Amino acid sequence: MGLHDLRDQVCIVGVGDTQQGSVPDKTGDELAIEAARAALQDCGLTKDDIDGLFVQPSYGHQGSYLNVGLMLGLNPRVGGAVEASGATGCYLIQHAALLLYAGMAHYVLLVYGTNQKTNRNRFGGALLEEHAPYGAFNPSLPFALAFRRHMHLYGTTEEQLATVAITQRAHAAMNPKAALRAPITLDDYMSARYIVAPLRLFDYCFITDGGHAFVLTTAERARDLRKPPVYLRGLGRQEAFRAYETPDLMMQSFQQQRAASMIFPMAEVRPKDIQALYVQDAYSPAIIAALENYGFCPVGEAGRWIQGGRIALGGELPVNVNGGQLSETYMVGWQNTCDAVRQLRGDCSSRQIPNVELLMCTYTGGLREHAGALILRR
Amino acid sequence: MVDYTKPLPVIEKWNAPYWQAAKRHEFVGQRCRTCGYVHLPPGPVCTNCLSDDQEWIQLSGKGTINSYGVYHQQWHPGFTDDIPYNVALIELAEGPLIISQVIGCENDALACGLAVAVTFDDVTPEITLPKFRLLGPSGTMSAGR
Repeated sequence: MGLHDLRDQVCIVGVGDTQQGSVPDKTGDELAIEAARAALQDCGLTKDDIDGLFVQPSYGHQGSYLNVGLMLGLNPRVGGAVEASGATGCYLIQHAALLLYAGMAHYVLLVYGTNQKTNRNRFGGALLEEHAPYGAFNPSLPFALAFRRHMHLYGTTEEQLATVAITQRAHAAMNPKAALRAPITLDDYMSARYIVAPLRLFDYCFITDGGHAFVLTTAERARDLRKPPVYLRGLGRQEAFRAYETPDLMMQSFQQQRAASMIFPMAEVRPKDIQALYVQDAYSPAIIAALENYGFCPVGEAGRWIQGGRIALGGELPVNVNGGQLSETYMVGWQNTCDAVRQLRGDCSSRQIPNVELLMCTYTGGLREHAGALILRR
Repeated sequence: MVDYTKPLPVIEKWNAPYWQAAKRHEFVGQRCRTCGYVHLPPGPVCTNCLSDDQEWIQLSGKGTINSYGVYHQQWHPGFTDDIPYNVALIELAEGPLIISQVIGCENDALACGLAVAVTFDDVTPEITLPKFRLLGPSGTMSAGR
C-alpha cells in the first residue's frame, strides 16, 4: 500500500463561503457555521450525515474545535483542530482524505471562520519571541528576507515582483466575491509605500472577515451527491522546523521541492500538465517561491518568467485567478481551494478557465515551517 | 536615562547564559559535546542529534548579511522613532542564522553578503542586545555613529 492508492479516491463534494470583506455583525465562529451550512447545502447532505469535523483556529480564540462542534450540534466519530498556521487548510483536507480512505469517516466537514478585519488584527507580533527586541514584527519578514535574497542572487527586481499584485488584481476585477476589484498599474504599485522593504503595500494580503467550509467524501459516495465531485489527485507536504538553521530553507526550497517530489509522482502528472496554480499568497513572494520550487520554472527565473501575461488568465499558467489573498480575500488558502473546486465545476463565468481538468493549490505556513499542496481534478 | 520602551528578551532557563554573556559583551552559542554542532537560539537539546550534553562556547561574532528587511511600518510604539529601521538575518561564521539589526550605518549601505561583526547595545542596566556593524574592506570595523 502506498500513497498512490489514494489517488482519485477522495473528493471535495461541497464548498461553502460567506460574505467576505467586512462582516461586523458576526463572530468568527458564526461565520464558520454559516459557511458549514452553505457547504452542506451545496452537496445536499444534512448535518447528521457528518461523521468527521475538523476546525482551523482563527484570530481571537475563534475556531475552537469544542465550541464549533457545540454550536453545530454534531456528534462526529472523528475530529479535532490542527494548528499549522497558513498550511492548516491544506493539512485538514489531507487528513480528511486519509480518514475517509481508511473508512474511519464517511463524510468530513472542514470549517474556518474569522472576524479578523472587524477586530483589527494587525498581525503585529514577532514570529518568535526572541525576535521582538529587534523590531522583527509581522509574518511578512521571512518573505521580505527571501525576496531580497532572490534579488541578490538572481537579479530579480521590484518591478518584476509587481506583476504578481497587478495580475491578481486584474483577476479580482472579474470576481464579484473579491474584496479589492479596482485595477492597479505598475505606477500605482511602485508609488505605494514600503511596509517591510523590499515589499510594498500591494505585496500584502488584504485582511478580511469571512468563513469557508468543505465537505469531503469517498469517490464512491460522491456519485450520489448534488454537484460533480472534484477528485483529490495528489497530495504534497513537507515540514521544516530547522528553517532558521539553514539558509536554503529560508527560500522554502527544501520544503517545497520535497512536497513536489511527493505530489507529482502520486498524481502521475507533471507541472506542465497543471492548467492553473493557486498559491496561498499571504505576501506576493510566495508566488515566486512556489513557481520555482514546485518546478513550474527554473530556480532563480521566476521574476522574468511571470512577465508578459504568463500568469494571467489566458496565459501559460494562470495563477490565483480569483485574485488570491492580495485581492480576493484572506482566508489562509481556503478561498483558493474553494475557487479551484468552482473552476473544475465550470461555475466561474467570465473567469472560467476553458476545458479545465487539472488544478493545483499550494500552501505555506509559519516562518518557513509548513509546505502543503493539493492537485485537484474534475 | 529615557525609559526603554521596546520589547526586552524573555529570559528563561535555556537562554539565560546567552543573555548573561551579552551583558558581559561576550557573544556565545551552544555547542553539542556529542556531535559538535553549534546552534542558536538556545534549547534543551542539540537540534542535530538530540544529545542533551551541551556547552557554551565563545563565537567569533563574525558573519555575513544573508538578507535584510527595512521596516517602514510601525507595529510597536517603541520603534516609532527608529522608522525606517532594518532587521537582518545574519549568517554567523560558525553556522547559525540569527535575526538581529545592523547599526552604525544607513539602511542604503546594507547588502546581502556584506561582512559584519557583533557589537553590543546596552539597552537597559540589565539587558544588552547583540547587534552587528558592517566590516570595512580590510575587515576592520566601519566608523559609524
